[in-house]
Amino acid sequence: MIDAALALLLEAQNEDGGWSSFKGKRSNTESTSFALLALNALEGDPFDRQKTTGLKWLLQHQKDDGSWSFNDAAKQSSWTTPIAALALMSFRDQRQHALRAAKWILTQEGRKPGWVASLLVRLSVIKKMTELDPYLSGWSWTAGAFSWVEPTSYSLMALKKLKRSLVGTNCEERVRQGEMLIYDRMCEKGGWNYGNSRVLGEALWPYPDVTAVALIALQDRGTNKANQTSLRALDTLMRETPSGTALGWGILCLSLYKQDVDEWKKILVRNFEKTKFLGETKAVALSLLAFGNGASLFRV
Amino acid sequence: MMNRREFIKVSAVASLSSLVGGCRPMVRWDRDAYRKTAISQVAILEAKSYDASLEDIIRRGIHLFKLDLKGKRIILKPNLVEFDPKGVINTHPAVIEAAIGSFRSLGAREVVVAEGPGHRRDSEYLLTASGIYDVIKEHRVRYVDLNTDDVRLTKLRSSFTNLTEMYLPETLFNADLLVSMPKLKTHHWAGVTLSLKNMFGVVPGSVYGWPKNALHWAGIDGSILDINSSLPIPQFAIVDGIVGMEGNGPLQGQAKQSGVLVLGDDLVAVDAISARLMMIEPRKIEYLEIAGGFLGNISHDRIELVGERLERFQQNYRVMENFQELKVLTG
Repeated sequence: MIDAALALLLEAQNEDGGWSSFKGKRSNTESTSFALLALNALEGDPFDRQKTTGLKWLLQHQKDDGSWSFNDAAKQSSWTTPIAALALMSFRDQRQHALRAAKWILTQEGRKPGWVASLLVRLSVIKKMTELDPYLSGWSWTAGAFSWVEPTSYSLMALKKLKRSLVGTNCEERVRQGEMLIYDRMCEKGGWNYGNSRVLGEALWPYPDVTAVALIALQDRGTNKANQTSLRALDTLMRETPSGTALGWGILCLSLYKQDVDEWKKILVRNFEKTKFLGETKAVALSLLAFGNGASLFRV
Repeated sequence: MMNRREFIKVSAVASLSSLVGGCRPMVRWDRDAYRKTAISQVAILEAKSYDASLEDIIRRGIHLFKLDLKGKRIILKPNLVEFDPKGVINTHPAVIEAAIGSFRSLGAREVVVAEGPGHRRDSEYLLTASGIYDVIKEHRVRYVDLNTDDVRLTKLRSSFTNLTEMYLPETLFNADLLVSMPKLKTHHWAGVTLSLKNMFGVVPGSVYGWPKNALHWAGIDGSILDINSSLPIPQFAIVDGIVGMEGNGPLQGQAKQSGVLVLGDDLVAVDAISARLMMIEPRKIEYLEIAGGFLGNISHDRIELVGERLERFQQNYRVMENFQELKVLTG
């Protein structure tokens, strides 16, 4: 499977050095970052040319303020910035560029309710709609929108990896707030979905990929009861959702929490045979990360 | 204390404040966004179950609209927002399969299935769990994840939000017909989710997030209107009402056997009839009422029904407590 997945990944690299979500599309920051992470996680440091051109694409697309847009067509700074920072940190000599990204991340904050919504929160209407604390500060998918679990988790991963270089900034406080937000959004029986545990009084169900991403972001709080509950939930979710994305993230997460992943790797191989993970760059890259030394690249 | 319906109205006013604060009446759509015709046709077709000869039924329905499909690329846009093994959230794969066969047999050059799920990013899971993966594999149909497709910045043809431009997937610009294939469902924020609301799923998550929260801030009703007024290609609708969803839709409502498909080339008219099938007054759905002013026909006397009679399939779909006022049909 590794050879087939690797071949898929290498074939999907665009002439400009980047990767798109699906072969033949425009290169984007998320796919290029996951592809580079996957290649850097392989034993023996192969594929120098592919990594060099991929890295060049990433560096060329970093904006002056340290951020990345999703791709050349969608030009605004985006949620992909912490993922690109993680990819840069998988190279030995790109920490300064990652640090620029981290500084941009610290300037970003999910939107909080305005005065109308604040009034309605006080009247407790919103609480009935979505039982969450709207004043906790995390990161949004796009500027001017609410904080959600996945972009907050990516930002936490990048900031935690770079925290020693961010002394004297508001990094520590932002990380603390981000962690509070993630815990606030946890589903009733553990795990996370996009970021609403209840809507109109009804409990919503968690997703395996987001659960794994959140747990990776919270790995330094591993003994926390919520982490342990969510780890158990992740096991169930991975059985119900054996996709490349879910299993790839799941294996990386379980590895970081020092759990046995051999059985999951077998399931990953079986499912790759069925769907080839639709050829989606991120899913293929995550599966390679799961088999290689990927967990170390996400250790904070 | 304000109830949820009132809250939604206040929120809508807040998000659409530019529309209520002006001193002069504004036309909120460009001339080329105006699509109303004198009369719109809507087909109500009986389909008792997903085991019925759906391809024959849908082909017969499409045929009623005399669409020129020869050599055309058709995009089928189902509702794949989420998946719940115990629920009826999604457009049934049998309906998608039947639509693929129908459009192909009527001369389409290519049929593509495309969706930008609003909550989950994991397309592989949604496709395999919902059964759509087996359909597209068997029929060798291309699937496009609209969330991560290439995008094009597009000038909006109406201004019901404060947005002037929106990113839309490139796949739309390279096709000839966009077929909205929603489930017949109630919706806890919007009242109903039908072919117009289903178009929220064409907006790319890579730009607007999961959920597409930037558009929620801009206003859900306004966004539905701005998206639908600005789609670059003609549209058609096939509503899966064989088993619909009532109550706390779009995710956690209950299944409702209705045995019907609704087809048409005027999405406003299709949604108005679909709402009436659920015994919901379309004029009380804010975005639908406004859409009836320029995007299509909402009045019963401007809609010619073909196929079955509306009354034969009309059923009382339960709505959330604070949407009870939608249940007063005014005809």
